[in-house]
Amino acid sequence: MNLKLANDRLDSAIALRETFAQFDPARPSPARLVSIFGSKEKDGVNLHYLADVPGTGYREFQYRVEGSVPSLTSVTPAASWHEREIHDQYQVDFDGHPALLPLLRHGQAIDDAQFLKVQGKGVCEVPVGPVHAGIIEPGHFRFSVIGDTVLHLQLRLFYTHKGTEKLFEGSPATEASPIAESVSGDNCFAHAVAYCQAVEEIFQVAVPAKANALRLVGLEIERLLAHIGDFGALCGDVAFSVPAAYCARIKEDLLQASIKFIGTRYWRGIAIPGGLQREIPATSVREFQAIVRTAAEDFFGIAEQALNTPSLQDRFEGAGVLAPAVAADLAVVGPVARACGSKFDVRRNHPYGEYKNLNLDVPTLHYGDVMARARIRVEEARVSVRLILDALQALPEGPIRAPLSGFASGQAFAAVESPRGELMYWLQLQEGRITRCHLRSPSFQNWPALPLAVAGNIIADFPLINKSFNLSYSGCDR
Amino acid sequence: MITDVVFRSLKSRSQLVPVEELLNACAGSRMPEIVPDRLTSQIAATVAEICPTGAITVETQNDSGLSLRLDYGKCIGCGRCVDQGQGAIRLAERFTRCGGVSREGLVRTWQAGSGAEEDRPLPPDSARDQIYALLGRALNIRQLDPGSCNGCEAEITALTNPYYDLERFGIHFVASPKHADMLLVTGPITRNMATAARKTLEAVPAPRLVVAVGACGCSGGIFYPGESHDHGAGTNSEIAGPVDALLPVDGYIPGCPPTPAMLVTGILAVLRRSRR
Repeated sequence: MNLKLANDRLDSAIALRETFAQFDPARPSPARLVSIFGSKEKDGVNLHYLADVPGTGYREFQYRVEGSVPSLTSVTPAASWHEREIHDQYQVDFDGHPALLPLLRHGQAIDDAQFLKVQGKGVCEVPVGPVHAGIIEPGHFRFSVIGDTVLHLQLRLFYTHKGTEKLFEGSPATEASPIAESVSGDNCFAHAVAYCQAVEEIFQVAVPAKANALRLVGLEIERLLAHIGDFGALCGDVAFSVPAAYCARIKEDLLQASIKFIGTRYWRGIAIPGGLQREIPATSVREFQAIVRTAAEDFFGIAEQALNTPSLQDRFEGAGVLAPAVAADLAVVGPVARACGSKFDVRRNHPYGEYKNLNLDVPTLHYGDVMARARIRVEEARVSVRLILDALQALPEGPIRAPLSGFASGQAFAAVESPRGELMYWLQLQEGRITRCHLRSPSFQNWPALPLAVAGNIIADFPLINKSFNLSYSGCDR
Repeated sequence: MITDVVFRSLKSRSQLVPVEELLNACAGSRMPEIVPDRLTSQIAATVAEICPTGAITVETQNDSGLSLRLDYGKCIGCGRCVDQGQGAIRLAERFTRCGGVSREGLVRTWQAGSGAEEDRPLPPDSARDQIYALLGRALNIRQLDPGSCNGCEAEITALTNPYYDLERFGIHFVASPKHADMLLVTGPITRNMATAARKTLEAVPAPRLVVAVGACGCSGGIFYPGESHDHGAGTNSEIAGPVDALLPVDGYIPGCPPTPAMLVTGILAVLRRSRR
């Protein structure tokens, strides 16, 4: 992945001005904020701004913190959570941040002062969580409603904050992929691949062609699993249980195929720096293709029938509309963004691995409602199926692992399109050991957009809208 | 149309896996086991060194040399020991240690020289007969995630799919802890979730069972490196501990994540033990 450091950090103020200018909404095509994070250096804290600059690609801007730092939030609202996180971790003050409240370390008790009080005749508050009803991760939601209609929703997440980035530090880079796999269990392969790509960049290792092709298969299988599962769960949320059970069955078919051919259900422990731990035996490729083909046929059949059912259309259409302008302000990524007009997909905009050799078709829809988010998943599943079948058809010969030699030092950055969107790892190594790892999951980027899609809808539609975003709590909280 | 959907489902065949095939199956879980006659002290020392969570340790016995201790509650199935074990360690196919009712029940020990497994008696169970006496096979489970990576959630959700259909055993997932007989707890308990986890337990009426799920639930897994291991440099201040550090635990289901078959086996094993 292309990584450019600000060459000479002559003056923090100049670096800062240059950075901010990139995001200026008055520019014809302003940069998209990817992440902001800090790193502790010997004599202070460095801030790193990662941006996706149109025409240039990913760029990194770094500078040393001296006193308080002007907040980027008023320029691009997507910066808000990043700045709150840095404030928690490094006690950096951001001038002009609208609400620099604790994000990660909010303590255990729920402090009402942290929530905006919505007042007026007939307004009442509905607190939900952190423990939710169902098999789901924890998070606290505070709704202000008038009748059934949600006026305002506030989130309080980071209940599953596990200090994961810190956990990477000190580990040898070649051994830390199990930590990356445990960031968000249902996207474990995307996390492992993104992490491995960052390591490979620093070690300057070329991954063998076969490993790259099988990584593509794994990534697309993961996307297929996620999209089939999500579609089924969306049907389940409107009490349409037949397609829900159907999708759960198809997903399980694919998981069992993964057990049979690669020995693990969710492709855990498969990606390692330098390539892959295990491969699909050449003799099973045909059988694997057949299973994927059958699963795809079943899924597209049931999806089409479900989407043509009026009672489902009635619930999906017009619910939880995310406006394209809001999505752009908050730098929303993944299927959620592509359901409201964005064309961004890491696989096409910044191709990596096997995707460099492909001309990828990225479906885009425009309505931004639950229906669009359901449909975009079906369309993306179609692309994934084709990619899997093609990759398996033309699987290269050769090794699946390239050795990593020596003790490399340096910094690198890698981005992968996970099922939820752009996932990026930033890594710093000192003689082969990790000194700082920052990961920006798509969920971290997308969560702040959820309340804006929910406002104006009835509270009973919240589970449906939330499911249509399908964000990972653990991936966000780390 | 809705009728098309229903016709389609009526035409498809049942996928239900018979219970005999489910019990003790662990395919896809990547849990390792020892091939007794191939284990040497050399291999034991090597794999203990590379294990990222300290699941494999080597103990020195007074007279009989080294023994290899494998704690399934810590194993995340990364496969390094299988890779480096020179044939002495393989992936397990059937797994009789799912659903240990004690933490020690998840530990197996092998003599490094002879490879023979040392038999360590399991400690006696505490009194948990009441649920079985009261409810027979009907059991209401409330799943609680105080910090999991959602890998275990994905597998617990799979329990309700047409392959496993946990409801056929009379087991249901319920929305409120107040309706639950069993709390199925995944993940390490984070500092931010400690209070909520305690309050959830308080809301479950007695008699109740608490089952820790997954490597993180059993031992803290990769997020809670113990003192014995140098990789993570001590403990993690964001984690309050494994489930039994905060809640009274009646059963443990290892795996990273445990497969649906291991979950079924584990849940039924905890219930069966409660019957005695």
